[in-house]
Amino acid sequence: MTTVYERLSDLLVTKFGVSATEIEPDATFEELELDSLALVEVAMAVQEEFGVDIGDSELTPKHTMTSAVEVLTANGVSV
Amino acid sequence: MTAPAARPGFAAAVTGLGLVSPAGIGVAENWARICSGVSTAARDPALAGLSVDFSCRVPGFDADALLGRRRAWRLDRVAQFAVVAAREALADAGLAGTDPEGGARGDTGEVRPEWDDARVGVVLGSGIGGAGTWEEQHRRLLDQGPRQVSALLIPMLAVNMIAGYVAMDCGARGPNFVTSTACASGTTAIGVARELLRSGACDIVLAGGAEACVIPSIVTGFSQMGALSRRADDPAGASRPFDAGRDGFVAAEAAAVLVLERPEHAAARGARVRAYVSGYGASADAHHATAPDPGGRSVERAMRAALLDAGITPEAVAHVNAHGTSTPLNDDIEGKVIHRVLGDAPAVTSTKGVTGHALGAAGAIEAAYTVLAVENSIAPPTANLDSQDPDIPVDVVAKEARNLRIPAAVSNSFGFGGQNAVLVVTAT
Repeated sequence: MTTVYERLSDLLVTKFGVSATEIEPDATFEELELDSLALVEVAMAVQEEFGVDIGDSELTPKHTMTSAVEVLTANGVSV
Repeated sequence: MTAPAARPGFAAAVTGLGLVSPAGIGVAENWARICSGVSTAARDPALAGLSVDFSCRVPGFDADALLGRRRAWRLDRVAQFAVVAAREALADAGLAGTDPEGGARGDTGEVRPEWDDARVGVVLGSGIGGAGTWEEQHRRLLDQGPRQVSALLIPMLAVNMIAGYVAMDCGARGPNFVTSTACASGTTAIGVARELLRSGACDIVLAGGAEACVIPSIVTGFSQMGALSRRADDPAGASRPFDAGRDGFVAAEAAAVLVLERPEHAAARGARVRAYVSGYGASADAHHATAPDPGGRSVERAMRAALLDAGITPEAVAHVNAHGTSTPLNDDIEGKVIHRVLGDAPAVTSTKGVTGHALGAAGAIEAAYTVLAVENSIAPPTANLDSQDPDIPVDVVAKEARNLRIPAAVSNSFGFGGQNAVLVVTAT
Protein backbone atom coordinates (compact mmCIF):
# COMPACT_ATOMS: atom_id res chain seq x y z
CA MET A 1 0.00 0.00 0.00
CA THR A 2 1.26 3.45 -0.90
CA THR A 3 2.05 5.50 2.17
CA VAL A 4 1.52 9.24 2.70
CA TYR A 5 5.30 9.58 2.73
CA GLU A 6 5.60 7.98 -0.70
CA ARG A 7 2.81 10.07 -2.19
CA LEU A 8 4.35 13.27 -0.83
CA SER A 9 7.75 12.22 -2.20
CA ASP A 10 6.26 11.57 -5.63
CA LEU A 11 4.59 14.97 -5.58
CA LEU A 12 7.85 16.75 -4.74
CA VAL A 13 9.70 14.90 -7.48
CA THR A 14 7.19 15.26 -10.29
CA LYS A 15 5.83 18.75 -9.62
CA PHE A 16 8.76 20.50 -7.98
CA GLY A 17 11.73 18.76 -9.51
CA VAL A 18 13.22 17.60 -6.22
CA SER A 19 15.70 14.82 -6.80
CA ALA A 20 14.36 11.50 -5.47
CA THR A 21 17.75 10.61 -4.04
CA GLU A 22 17.71 13.69 -1.79
CA ILE A 23 14.40 12.87 -0.18
CA GLU A 24 14.97 11.24 3.21
CA PRO A 25 12.87 11.12 6.37
CA ASP A 26 15.13 13.70 8.05
CA ALA A 27 15.53 16.03 5.05
CA THR A 28 14.01 19.47 5.66
CA PHE A 29 12.14 21.39 2.97
CA GLU A 30 14.90 23.98 3.20
CA GLU A 31 17.45 21.32 2.31
CA LEU A 32 15.27 20.34 -0.63
CA GLU A 33 15.37 24.01 -1.80
CA LEU A 34 11.72 24.60 -1.00
CA ASP A 35 11.43 28.04 0.61
CA SER A 36 8.33 29.60 2.14
CA LEU A 37 7.04 30.81 -1.23
CA ALA A 38 7.50 27.39 -2.75
CA LEU A 39 5.69 25.82 0.23
CA VAL A 40 2.56 27.85 -0.53
CA GLU A 41 2.65 26.12 -3.90
CA VAL A 42 3.32 22.76 -2.23
CA ALA A 43 0.31 23.29 0.04
CA MET A 44 -1.89 23.87 -3.02
CA ALA A 45 -0.50 20.77 -4.71
CA VAL A 46 -1.13 18.78 -1.53
CA GLN A 47 -4.70 20.00 -1.52
CA GLU A 48 -5.15 18.79 -5.08
CA GLU A 49 -3.40 15.47 -4.47
CA PHE A 50 -4.87 14.58 -1.06
CA GLY A 51 -8.06 16.65 -1.05
CA VAL A 52 -7.27 18.31 2.28
CA ASP A 53 -6.89 21.99 2.96
CA ILE A 54 -3.51 22.71 4.55
CA GLY A 55 -3.20 26.17 6.07
CA ASP A 56 -0.80 28.65 4.49
CA SER A 57 1.73 28.43 7.28
CA GLU A 58 1.37 24.83 8.40
CA LEU A 59 4.31 23.68 6.30
CA THR A 60 7.53 25.57 6.98
CA PRO A 61 11.05 25.29 5.58
CA LYS A 62 12.12 23.68 8.87
CA HIS A 63 9.73 20.74 8.51
CA THR A 64 11.31 17.42 7.70
CA MET A 65 9.63 14.88 5.46
CA THR A 66 8.66 12.92 8.58
CA SER A 67 7.16 15.92 10.38
CA ALA A 68 5.41 17.04 7.19
CA VAL A 69 3.73 13.64 6.96
CA GLU A 70 2.59 14.17 10.56
CA VAL A 71 1.04 17.51 9.56
CA LEU A 72 -0.78 15.85 6.67
CA THR A 73 -1.95 13.01 8.88
CA ALA A 74 -3.20 15.46 11.50
CA ASN A 75 -5.20 17.13 8.72
CA GLY A 76 -6.95 13.87 7.96
CA VAL A 77 -4.76 12.28 5.29
CA SER A 78 -4.62 8.56 5.92
CA VAL A 79 -3.03 6.91 2.89
CA MET B 1 23.06 75.77 -25.31
CA THR B 2 25.13 73.82 -27.77
CA ALA B 3 25.49 70.06 -27.67
CA PRO B 4 28.55 68.79 -25.83
CA ALA B 5 31.40 67.58 -28.02
CA ALA B 6 31.43 63.89 -28.91
CA ARG B 7 33.07 61.72 -26.28
CA PRO B 8 36.05 59.55 -27.09
CA GLY B 9 34.95 56.36 -28.81
CA PHE B 10 34.24 53.21 -26.87
CA ALA B 11 34.00 49.75 -28.40
CA ALA B 12 32.40 47.16 -26.12
CA ALA B 13 33.64 43.70 -27.05
CA VAL B 14 30.97 41.11 -27.79
CA THR B 15 32.56 37.94 -26.44
CA GLY B 16 29.50 35.72 -26.17
CA LEU B 17 26.04 35.22 -27.67
CA GLY B 18 23.01 33.24 -26.56
CA LEU B 19 19.75 32.97 -28.49
CA VAL B 20 16.31 31.52 -27.91
CA SER B 21 13.92 32.52 -30.66
CA PRO B 22 11.39 31.22 -33.15
CA ALA B 23 14.42 30.61 -35.38
CA GLY B 24 15.66 28.04 -32.89
CA ILE B 25 17.36 27.44 -29.57
CA GLY B 26 21.04 28.27 -29.81
CA VAL B 27 23.15 30.56 -31.96
CA ALA B 28 23.98 28.04 -34.72
CA GLU B 29 20.35 27.02 -35.25
CA ASN B 30 19.27 30.68 -35.24
CA TRP B 31 21.83 31.84 -37.77
CA ALA B 32 21.07 28.99 -40.18
CA ARG B 33 17.35 29.78 -40.09
CA ILE B 34 17.90 33.54 -40.39
CA CYS B 35 20.12 33.05 -43.43
CA SER B 36 17.54 30.72 -45.02
CA GLY B 37 14.97 33.51 -45.08
CA VAL B 38 12.12 31.12 -44.29
CA SER B 39 9.44 32.52 -42.01
CA THR B 40 8.64 30.79 -38.71
CA ALA B 41 5.06 32.06 -38.40
CA ALA B 42 2.40 29.39 -37.99
CA ARG B 43 -1.05 28.81 -36.59
CA ASP B 44 -0.92 28.81 -32.79
CA PRO B 45 -3.24 26.48 -30.83
CA ALA B 46 -2.89 28.74 -27.76
CA LEU B 47 -4.57 31.54 -29.74
CA ALA B 48 -7.38 29.44 -31.21
CA GLY B 49 -10.64 31.34 -31.56
CA LEU B 50 -9.05 34.79 -31.46
CA SER B 51 -9.23 37.25 -34.34
CA VAL B 52 -5.52 36.62 -34.94
CA ASP B 53 -4.61 32.98 -34.29
CA PHE B 54 -1.02 32.70 -35.53
CA SER B 55 2.35 33.67 -34.11
CA CYS B 56 6.05 32.88 -34.07
CA ARG B 57 6.90 30.48 -31.23
CA VAL B 58 10.20 29.15 -29.94
CA PRO B 59 10.10 25.60 -31.36
CA GLY B 60 10.24 22.74 -28.87
CA PHE B 61 11.16 24.82 -25.82
CA ASP B 62 11.23 22.35 -22.90
CA ALA B 63 12.19 24.29 -19.81
CA ASP B 64 12.27 21.19 -17.60
CA ALA B 65 14.79 19.55 -19.93
CA LEU B 66 16.89 22.69 -20.43
CA LEU B 67 16.95 24.01 -16.87
CA GLY B 68 15.81 21.11 -14.72
CA ARG B 69 12.32 20.97 -13.27
CA ARG B 70 13.60 22.21 -9.91
CA ARG B 71 14.64 25.53 -11.44
CA ALA B 72 12.08 25.74 -14.23
CA TRP B 73 8.80 25.54 -12.29
CA ARG B 74 9.50 28.75 -10.36
CA LEU B 75 10.15 30.86 -13.44
CA ASP B 76 7.79 32.45 -15.92
CA ARG B 77 8.53 31.48 -19.51
CA VAL B 78 10.15 34.89 -20.06
CA ALA B 79 12.75 34.26 -17.34
CA GLN B 80 13.24 30.69 -18.56
CA PHE B 81 14.15 32.07 -21.99
CA ALA B 82 16.53 34.61 -20.45
CA VAL B 83 18.33 32.07 -18.27
CA VAL B 84 18.75 29.62 -21.18
CA ALA B 85 20.11 32.40 -23.40
CA ALA B 86 22.43 33.67 -20.65
CA ARG B 87 23.88 30.21 -20.06
CA GLU B 88 24.63 29.81 -23.76
CA ALA B 89 26.17 33.29 -23.95
CA LEU B 90 28.42 32.64 -20.94
CA ALA B 91 29.58 29.31 -22.35
CA ASP B 92 30.21 31.00 -25.71
CA ALA B 93 32.33 33.63 -23.95
CA GLY B 94 34.42 31.01 -22.21
CA LEU B 95 32.77 31.89 -18.90
CA ALA B 96 30.73 28.74 -18.35
CA GLY B 97 32.24 28.14 -14.93
CA THR B 98 33.04 24.66 -13.72
CA ASP B 99 35.31 24.55 -10.70
CA PRO B 100 33.33 24.03 -7.49
CA GLU B 101 35.84 25.85 -5.28
CA GLY B 102 36.85 29.48 -4.91
CA GLY B 103 35.83 32.52 -6.92
CA ALA B 104 32.33 33.71 -7.63
CA ARG B 105 29.43 31.41 -6.95
CA GLY B 106 26.02 31.42 -8.51
CA ASP B 107 23.29 29.28 -7.02
CA THR B 108 23.99 26.63 -9.60
CA GLY B 109 27.27 26.16 -7.75
CA GLU B 110 29.43 27.03 -10.73
CA VAL B 111 32.48 29.14 -10.20
CA ARG B 112 34.05 31.68 -12.52
CA PRO B 113 37.52 32.75 -11.42
CA GLU B 114 37.77 34.76 -14.69
CA TRP B 115 35.56 37.50 -13.30
CA ASP B 116 35.13 39.77 -10.29
CA ASP B 117 31.46 39.04 -9.61
CA ALA B 118 30.75 42.50 -8.15
CA ARG B 119 31.77 44.01 -11.49
CA VAL B 120 29.51 41.83 -13.64
CA GLY B 121 26.22 43.49 -14.52
CA VAL B 122 22.99 42.19 -16.03
CA VAL B 123 20.88 44.57 -18.11
CA LEU B 124 17.98 43.03 -19.99
CA GLY B 125 15.08 44.60 -21.84
CA SER B 126 11.49 43.47 -21.63
CA GLY B 127 8.28 45.18 -22.61
CA ILE B 128 5.77 43.22 -20.60
CA GLY B 129 7.48 40.75 -18.24
CA GLY B 130 5.82 37.59 -16.95
CA ALA B 131 2.48 38.16 -18.61
CA GLY B 132 1.68 34.46 -19.01
CA THR B 133 1.82 33.96 -15.26
CA TRP B 134 -0.33 37.01 -14.67
CA GLU B 135 -3.01 35.80 -17.07
CA GLU B 136 -3.02 32.32 -15.55
CA GLN B 137 -3.07 33.44 -11.93
CA HIS B 138 -5.71 36.07 -12.59
CA ARG B 139 -7.89 33.32 -14.00
CA ARG B 140 -7.30 31.29 -10.82
CA LEU B 141 -8.27 34.29 -8.71
CA LEU B 142 -11.54 34.71 -10.59
CA ASP B 143 -12.38 31.01 -10.89
CA GLN B 144 -11.04 29.52 -7.65
CA GLY B 145 -10.55 32.41 -5.25
CA PRO B 146 -7.58 34.14 -3.65
CA ARG B 147 -6.26 31.14 -1.74
CA GLN B 148 -5.48 29.34 -4.98
CA VAL B 149 -3.23 32.12 -6.30
CA SER B 150 0.47 31.28 -6.44
CA ALA B 151 2.78 32.91 -3.91
CA LEU B 152 5.21 33.19 -6.80
CA LEU B 153 2.87 35.42 -8.82
CA ILE B 154 4.87 38.59 -8.13
CA PRO B 155 8.39 37.19 -8.64
CA MET B 156 7.19 35.48 -11.82
CA LEU B 157 5.36 38.53 -13.16
CA ALA B 158 7.50 41.53 -12.21
CA VAL B 159 9.53 42.71 -15.18
CA ASN B 160 12.73 43.33 -13.15
CA MET B 161 12.93 39.66 -12.13
CA ILE B 162 14.19 38.60 -15.54
CA ALA B 163 17.56 40.20 -14.84
CA GLY B 164 17.34 39.14 -11.20
CA TYR B 165 16.98 35.46 -12.06
CA VAL B 166 19.82 35.59 -14.59
CA ALA B 167 22.08 36.99 -11.85
CA MET B 168 20.96 34.31 -9.40
CA ASP B 169 21.69 31.64 -11.97
CA CYS B 170 25.25 32.74 -12.73
CA GLY B 171 26.31 34.75 -9.67
CA ALA B 172 26.65 38.15 -11.37
CA ARG B 173 26.62 40.63 -8.49
CA GLY B 174 27.08 43.98 -10.23
CA PRO B 175 24.39 46.46 -11.36
CA ASN B 176 21.23 44.61 -12.30
CA PHE B 177 18.09 45.99 -13.93
CA VAL B 178 15.55 45.75 -16.71
CA THR B 179 14.96 48.43 -19.31
CA SER B 180 11.47 48.84 -20.70
CA THR B 181 11.07 50.85 -23.89
CA ALA B 182 8.46 48.66 -25.57
CA CYS B 183 9.81 47.21 -28.82
CA ALA B 184 13.17 48.94 -28.31
CA SER B 185 13.75 47.43 -24.84
CA GLY B 186 16.51 45.01 -25.82
CA THR B 187 18.36 47.68 -27.79
CA THR B 188 18.11 50.13 -24.93
CA ALA B 189 19.49 47.46 -22.59
CA ILE B 190 22.54 46.89 -24.78
CA GLY B 191 23.13 50.63 -25.19
CA VAL B 192 22.94 51.26 -21.45
CA ALA B 193 25.02 48.16 -20.66
CA ARG B 194 27.76 49.57 -22.86
CA GLU B 195 27.67 52.77 -20.82
CA LEU B 196 28.28 50.73 -17.64
CA LEU B 197 31.42 49.37 -19.28
CA ARG B 198 32.44 52.75 -20.64
CA SER B 199 32.11 54.42 -17.24
CA GLY B 200 34.26 51.72 -15.65
CA ALA B 201 31.46 50.54 -13.35
CA CYS B 202 31.58 47.02 -14.81
CA ASP B 203 34.04 44.70 -16.52
CA ILE B 204 31.34 42.52 -18.05
CA VAL B 205 27.63 43.05 -18.63
CA LEU B 206 25.18 40.38 -19.75
CA ALA B 207 22.96 42.47 -21.98
CA GLY B 208 19.95 41.65 -24.10
CA GLY B 209 16.27 41.08 -23.67
CA ALA B 210 13.46 38.60 -23.21
CA GLU B 211 9.77 38.52 -24.03
CA ALA B 212 7.18 35.76 -23.77
CA CYS B 213 3.75 37.30 -24.02
CA VAL B 214 2.18 35.43 -26.92
CA ILE B 215 -0.90 34.86 -24.78
CA PRO B 216 -4.57 35.55 -25.54
CA SER B 217 -4.93 38.82 -23.61
CA ILE B 218 -1.81 40.48 -25.00
CA VAL B 219 -2.26 39.27 -28.57
CA THR B 220 -5.86 40.48 -28.45
CA GLY B 221 -4.65 43.86 -27.24
CA PHE B 222 -2.30 44.20 -30.21
CA SER B 223 -5.01 42.92 -32.52
CA GLN B 224 -7.54 45.48 -31.29
CA MET B 225 -4.95 48.19 -31.96
CA GLY B 226 -4.83 47.05 -35.56
CA ALA B 227 -1.10 46.37 -35.28
CA LEU B 228 -1.16 42.68 -36.29
CA SER B 229 -1.22 41.10 -39.72
CA ARG B 230 -4.60 39.57 -40.60
CA ARG B 231 -3.19 37.16 -43.13
CA ALA B 232 -4.71 34.19 -41.32
CA ASP B 233 -4.98 32.07 -44.46
CA ASP B 234 -1.21 32.34 -44.99
CA PRO B 235 0.61 32.71 -41.66
CA ALA B 236 4.01 31.96 -43.21
CA GLY B 237 3.55 34.93 -45.56
CA ALA B 238 2.20 37.29 -42.90
CA SER B 239 5.43 38.90 -41.71
CA ARG B 240 6.65 40.64 -44.88
CA PRO B 241 8.70 43.71 -43.98
CA PHE B 242 9.11 46.34 -46.72
CA ASP B 243 6.86 44.36 -49.06
CA ALA B 244 4.03 46.13 -50.84
CA GLY B 245 1.57 43.59 -49.43
CA ARG B 246 2.47 43.99 -45.75
CA ASP B 247 -0.41 44.56 -43.33
CA GLY B 248 0.96 44.32 -39.79
CA PHE B 249 3.36 42.40 -37.58
CA VAL B 250 3.28 38.83 -36.29
CA ALA B 251 3.71 38.46 -32.52
CA ALA B 252 6.73 36.46 -31.42
CA GLU B 253 8.59 35.38 -28.28
CA ALA B 254 12.34 35.23 -27.77
CA ALA B 255 15.40 36.07 -25.71
CA ALA B 256 18.97 36.97 -26.52
CA VAL B 257 21.94 37.68 -24.30
CA LEU B 258 25.20 39.27 -25.41
CA VAL B 259 28.25 39.10 -23.18
CA LEU B 260 29.64 42.63 -23.44
CA GLU B 261 33.05 43.27 -22.03
CA ARG B 262 35.49 46.13 -21.63
CA PRO B 263 37.95 45.54 -24.47
CA GLU B 264 40.92 45.51 -22.06
CA HIS B 265 39.19 42.92 -19.91
CA ALA B 266 38.44 40.72 -22.92
CA ALA B 267 42.04 41.04 -24.13
CA ALA B 268 43.51 40.28 -20.70
CA ARG B 269 41.73 36.95 -20.50
CA GLY B 270 42.35 36.14 -24.14
CA ALA B 271 38.66 36.09 -25.03
CA ARG B 272 37.54 35.69 -28.63
CA VAL B 273 35.79 38.89 -29.80
CA ARG B 274 32.95 38.38 -32.29
CA ALA B 275 32.43 42.11 -32.96
CA TYR B 276 32.12 45.40 -31.09
CA VAL B 277 29.15 47.46 -30.00
CA SER B 278 30.62 50.85 -30.84
CA GLY B 279 27.73 53.28 -30.89
CA TYR B 280 24.35 53.93 -29.32
CA GLY B 281 21.79 56.62 -29.97
CA ALA B 282 18.35 57.14 -28.44
CA SER B 283 15.51 59.57 -28.82
CA ALA B 284 11.78 60.09 -28.28
CA ASP B 285 9.18 61.06 -30.86
CA ALA B 286 7.09 62.87 -28.22
CA HIS B 287 4.27 62.45 -30.69
CA HIS B 288 1.68 59.69 -30.10
CA ALA B 289 1.07 56.57 -28.01
CA THR B 290 1.36 54.09 -30.83
CA ALA B 291 1.81 55.90 -34.15
CA PRO B 292 5.32 56.90 -35.21
CA ASP B 293 6.11 60.51 -36.04
CA PRO B 294 5.33 60.57 -39.77
CA GLY B 295 8.43 62.62 -40.55
CA GLY B 296 10.70 60.20 -38.68
CA ARG B 297 12.72 63.13 -37.34
CA SER B 298 13.46 61.56 -33.96
CA VAL B 299 14.28 58.21 -35.51
CA GLU B 300 16.74 60.07 -37.70
CA ARG B 301 18.27 61.80 -34.68
CA ALA B 302 18.77 58.47 -32.92
CA MET B 303 20.52 57.04 -35.98
CA ARG B 304 22.76 60.08 -36.36
CA ALA B 305 23.55 60.04 -32.63
CA ALA B 306 24.61 56.40 -32.83
CA LEU B 307 26.91 57.11 -35.80
CA LEU B 308 28.42 60.10 -34.00
CA ASP B 309 28.92 58.02 -30.86
CA ALA B 310 30.68 55.36 -32.93
CA GLY B 311 32.80 58.00 -34.64
CA ILE B 312 31.96 56.68 -38.10
CA THR B 313 30.61 58.29 -41.24
CA PRO B 314 27.45 57.02 -42.96
CA GLU B 315 29.61 55.59 -45.77
CA ALA B 316 31.12 53.03 -43.37
CA VAL B 317 27.73 51.37 -42.81
CA ALA B 318 27.35 48.38 -45.11
CA HIS B 319 24.38 46.70 -43.46
CA VAL B 320 21.27 47.70 -41.52
CA ASN B 321 19.23 45.32 -39.42
CA ALA B 322 16.07 47.37 -39.66
CA HIS B 323 13.26 47.54 -37.14
CA GLY B 324 11.13 46.53 -40.15
CA THR B 325 8.03 45.31 -38.32
CA SER B 326 5.94 44.72 -41.45
CA THR B 327 3.44 47.38 -40.39
CA PRO B 328 2.55 49.81 -43.19
CA LEU B 329 3.65 52.93 -41.30
CA ASN B 330 6.87 51.76 -39.64
CA ASP B 331 8.46 50.32 -42.73
CA ASP B 332 7.58 53.32 -44.88
CA ILE B 333 8.97 55.86 -42.43
CA GLU B 334 12.00 53.78 -41.50
CA GLY B 335 12.93 53.08 -45.12
CA LYS B 336 12.90 56.79 -45.89
CA VAL B 337 14.94 57.67 -42.81
CA ILE B 338 17.56 55.00 -43.57
CA HIS B 339 17.87 56.46 -47.04
CA ARG B 340 18.16 59.99 -45.71
CA VAL B 341 20.88 59.07 -43.22
CA LEU B 342 22.82 56.33 -45.02
CA GLY B 343 21.98 56.72 -48.70
CA ASP B 344 21.64 53.89 -51.23
CA ALA B 345 24.60 51.79 -50.24
CA PRO B 346 23.75 49.63 -47.22
CA ALA B 347 22.17 46.20 -47.57
CA VAL B 348 19.02 46.47 -45.46
CA THR B 349 17.43 43.44 -43.81
CA SER B 350 14.50 42.93 -41.50
CA THR B 351 15.01 39.61 -39.77
CA LYS B 352 11.41 39.95 -38.49
CA GLY B 353 10.34 38.35 -41.76
CA VAL B 354 11.74 35.13 -40.30
CA THR B 355 11.22 35.63 -36.55
CA GLY B 356 8.13 37.81 -36.34
CA HIS B 357 8.19 40.66 -33.85
CA ALA B 358 9.51 39.59 -30.46
CA LEU B 359 8.59 42.96 -28.94
CA GLY B 360 10.91 43.77 -26.02
CA ALA B 361 13.31 41.00 -27.06
CA ALA B 362 13.37 42.04 -30.72
CA GLY B 363 16.22 44.51 -30.37
CA ALA B 364 18.29 41.96 -28.46
CA ILE B 365 17.95 39.12 -30.97
CA GLU B 366 18.52 41.59 -33.80
CA ALA B 367 21.68 42.94 -32.16
CA ALA B 368 22.87 39.33 -31.98
CA TYR B 369 22.02 38.80 -35.67
CA THR B 370 23.84 42.04 -36.51
CA VAL B 371 26.92 40.79 -34.68
CA LEU B 372 26.72 37.53 -36.64
CA ALA B 373 26.28 39.43 -39.91
CA VAL B 374 29.39 41.53 -39.25
CA GLU B 375 31.39 38.54 -38.02
CA ASN B 376 30.45 36.30 -40.95
CA SER B 377 30.31 38.98 -43.68
CA ILE B 378 26.74 38.02 -44.54
CA ALA B 379 23.63 40.18 -44.85
CA PRO B 380 20.70 37.79 -44.34
CA PRO B 381 17.59 38.03 -46.52
CA THR B 382 14.23 39.52 -45.61
CA ALA B 383 11.62 36.77 -45.71
CA ASN B 384 8.57 37.21 -47.92
CA LEU B 385 9.96 40.18 -49.82
CA ASP B 386 8.23 39.34 -53.10
CA SER B 387 7.46 42.83 -54.26
CA GLN B 388 9.25 45.68 -52.51
CA ASP B 389 7.09 48.69 -51.73
CA PRO B 390 8.09 51.24 -54.42
CA ASP B 391 7.88 54.05 -51.85
CA ILE B 392 10.70 52.50 -49.81
CA PRO B 393 13.92 53.75 -51.40
CA VAL B 394 16.53 51.39 -49.92
CA ASP B 395 18.29 48.21 -51.01
CA VAL B 396 16.43 45.51 -49.10
CA VAL B 397 18.07 42.08 -49.22
CA ALA B 398 15.57 39.63 -50.69
CA LYS B 399 15.44 35.87 -51.26
CA GLU B 400 19.05 34.97 -50.55
CA ALA B 401 21.72 35.95 -48.05
CA ARG B 402 24.29 38.28 -49.53
CA ASN B 403 28.03 37.96 -48.96
CA LEU B 404 29.62 41.29 -48.28
CA ARG B 405 32.28 42.77 -46.06
CA ILE B 406 30.59 44.69 -43.23
CA PRO B 407 32.99 47.04 -41.41
CA ALA B 408 30.04 48.62 -39.61
CA ALA B 409 26.34 47.84 -39.28
CA VAL B 410 23.37 49.54 -37.68
CA SER B 411 20.54 47.90 -35.75
CA ASN B 412 17.36 49.97 -35.39
CA SER B 413 14.59 49.58 -32.82
CA PHE B 414 11.58 51.82 -32.39
CA GLY B 415 9.09 51.28 -29.59
CA PHE B 416 5.51 52.28 -29.02
CA GLY B 417 5.48 55.52 -27.13
CA GLY B 418 7.98 56.85 -29.64
CA GLN B 419 11.00 55.36 -27.87
CA ASN B 420 13.82 54.92 -30.36
CA ALA B 421 17.16 53.17 -29.88
CA VAL B 422 19.92 52.46 -32.39
CA LEU B 423 23.15 50.49 -32.09
CA VAL B 424 26.28 50.51 -34.23
CA VAL B 425 28.16 47.22 -34.45
CA THR B 426 31.68 47.20 -35.90
CA ALA B 427 34.02 44.46 -37.06
CA THR B 428 37.10 43.35 -35.15
